[in-house]
Amino acid sequence: MALNPILITLLTFGILVALTFLVGRLAKLLAVRAMGLSRPQVAASVGVLASAVVYLIGGVIAIQELGISPDILFIVVALLGAAALIGLREQLENYGGKYFSDVYSPFKLGDSITIGGHAGKVIEINAMTTVLLSDDDHLIAIPNSMFMKEVVVNTTPQAWKEVAIPISIGANVDLAAFEATVFRSLAKLRSRLDRRFPPVITTRSRSALSTDLTVTVMIRRPEDRDVIITEVQKRITESRGKPVPVPATAEKAPTTPPTAGSSASPGR
Amino acid sequence: MVDSLSLCVNTQTPLVQVIGTRPGGVTRRSVAATVRLSRLVEGTDYRLSPGGVTRMIAPLVRRLQSDGVLDEVHWVALNPSGPRTIDADGFTLHNVALDPDRMASYGHVKEAIWGAVHGLDGRGGDQELLWTDQYSEYAYYNRASAEVIQQLDRRYDFDAFYVHDFQQLAVGHMLNTLKPKIFRWHIPFDATMIPEEWRLWMAAYFNSYDVVVVSARRYRAALKAFGHTGTVKQLYPYVDPAEFSRPPRDEVAATLRARGLHDEEIILVVGRMDPMKGQDRAIRAFGSLAKEFPDARLVLVGNGSFSGSRGGPGLSKGARWRSHLEALVKKLGLGRRVIFTGHLPQRELDCFYEAARFTVLPSVQEGFGLVVVESWLHRKPTIVTCRAGIAELVHDGRNGLLVDPDQPKKLAEKMHRLLADDGELGRRLGREGYKASKRCTVDAAAPAEAKLLREVTGG
Repeated sequence: MALNPILITLLTFGILVALTFLVGRLAKLLAVRAMGLSRPQVAASVGVLASAVVYLIGGVIAIQELGISPDILFIVVALLGAAALIGLREQLENYGGKYFSDVYSPFKLGDSITIGGHAGKVIEINAMTTVLLSDDDHLIAIPNSMFMKEVVVNTTPQAWKEVAIPISIGANVDLAAFEATVFRSLAKLRSRLDRRFPPVITTRSRSALSTDLTVTVMIRRPEDRDVIITEVQKRITESRGKPVPVPATAEKAPTTPPTAGSSASPGR
Repeated sequence: MVDSLSLCVNTQTPLVQVIGTRPGGVTRRSVAATVRLSRLVEGTDYRLSPGGVTRMIAPLVRRLQSDGVLDEVHWVALNPSGPRTIDADGFTLHNVALDPDRMASYGHVKEAIWGAVHGLDGRGGDQELLWTDQYSEYAYYNRASAEVIQQLDRRYDFDAFYVHDFQQLAVGHMLNTLKPKIFRWHIPFDATMIPEEWRLWMAAYFNSYDVVVVSARRYRAALKAFGHTGTVKQLYPYVDPAEFSRPPRDEVAATLRARGLHDEEIILVVGRMDPMKGQDRAIRAFGSLAKEFPDARLVLVGNGSFSGSRGGPGLSKGARWRSHLEALVKKLGLGRRVIFTGHLPQRELDCFYEAARFTVLPSVQEGFGLVVVESWLHRKPTIVTCRAGIAELVHDGRNGLLVDPDQPKKLAEKMHRLLADDGELGRRLGREGYKASKRCTVDAAAPAEAKLLREVTGG
């Protein structure tokens, strides 16, 4: 008995969507790995871009299978995109500003900064604004886009020394073992680091899927900052791949090794 | 009406050490589920850890529970050989395991910190300690403890965390929570003893707690001078007097006979076998008096600590120190005049306190010195090192005799004074000491600890 043509079309569409999803995930993984020692946030963005391209191409092919002209789709997407760019220009600028300042601005929560005549302690960094608490107890919201246009001065004492690298590990990773491995690895860099301050790992948040951490080290010479960030990131990535020893906790027995999927940026 | 609080306590030393030598007995391997302590036999299946920290916390928890201050209490400690959890009738003990290699490395670091803080090797310590592989295992142990605590917190939603002593210093930072964290530092604190290379590290971890509690006023001043910006409270350590008894004379005599003692004058030194406890000073001072007082005997009570035990980090310093002391006794020709009893069960220890002419705490450094309180509870005169936290409560000549442990002649003089005493001085010191002991009981401490918990939890 011949299958209903509509059913065949829907089946093909479904298979194409599933394939697109899988290839998109693979493309993201490969792109992140290919970026290797680049700044982790940049590598993560390239991964997202690679998967988006695959999703777009796969989506177009799948829609063609349904008999819909891709030209119409392109026009709709382009019009929606143009409308979004015009309508959300300021928000997108701020969002972009946050992205770039995440990567390149040397400050983090708790630091004292000055920007555009405003000064205060950074108490919040959200998608649109960075919130400062001024000395006279006022809250100042700085649009993130300003960080791409204005000079930022970090007035925190010895702020240049501190390098904070955010990372994520799978929720099923034995955090104690991972931390010990990272410490052993980073100890190899001690001649470049402030001996008075061994690395510190801080848990920022936990979810069912991942644990977000910050690895903080203190450098000895400001000119080493960039190379140390790269080296620390490399060592953390290598630590992920190392086998996890016998779990220590009485309550939990994690067995799977750490998984990929990190973002890291200096200074924030 | 204020609600009762749920609390998570964290110590290195567990309240209960599983002996695990009985065939079919309780071990980590044999029991995965919760074990009821009431079904185990003390002395056969387990023993209570000696030492001040656990002996303080258990009665405090029970008292605060009976006062309605605390409700749910969970106690996380290092205990590789114990079952995962033990129901201790009112609170639950959770045991953290470490494999032997990690335990050894962790033990190395914590001993190095302990030695430096106590000035064991002069001022300063291993400057590279925080960059060694062993340090990563110290961090591992702290993180493993923090992970167990966080798992419990997700289940029981604690109101506060009470972390005890330097071994657990990093736990506070590792707990990802906005809930209040209290840290009790039980050992001495002298900023000049902290190596320069450790100061930022230590300060950062101290500052991760809402309150730091120390045992003596001078430690609070030292911590402030160290640059600690957070809240520091001072609370004297304490014991539960109900745990101490005054056995009748015939029982005391029988206990002593079993140790080969009859009517001798007993000078009692109670403390684990550790160079810091200064038993060598007591032996030297005793050696200078031995001929003049032929009936006098120096009795040294104590073994190694949890750290030296088979179930703990397995450090052998206790055994090494005892060998050193035994060699010293031989060298001074004191022979059977010095008696090493090892660890004594509480009732037997009470007999020795009752029989003692006086007690000596000769420590080189001592966080507090609860054995002085024990001595006072038995109304015994005591000679106390001026380097102990409890020295703040000792008024020389009124409720005890103070001595510098580095001046053995002075120690010998004070021992001579009490051996030659017709009884009047000893009775007076014992009587006044008993009064002073009231400041170091769970009855005195419970209201202050309850107030602290209420303050940090905003209750």
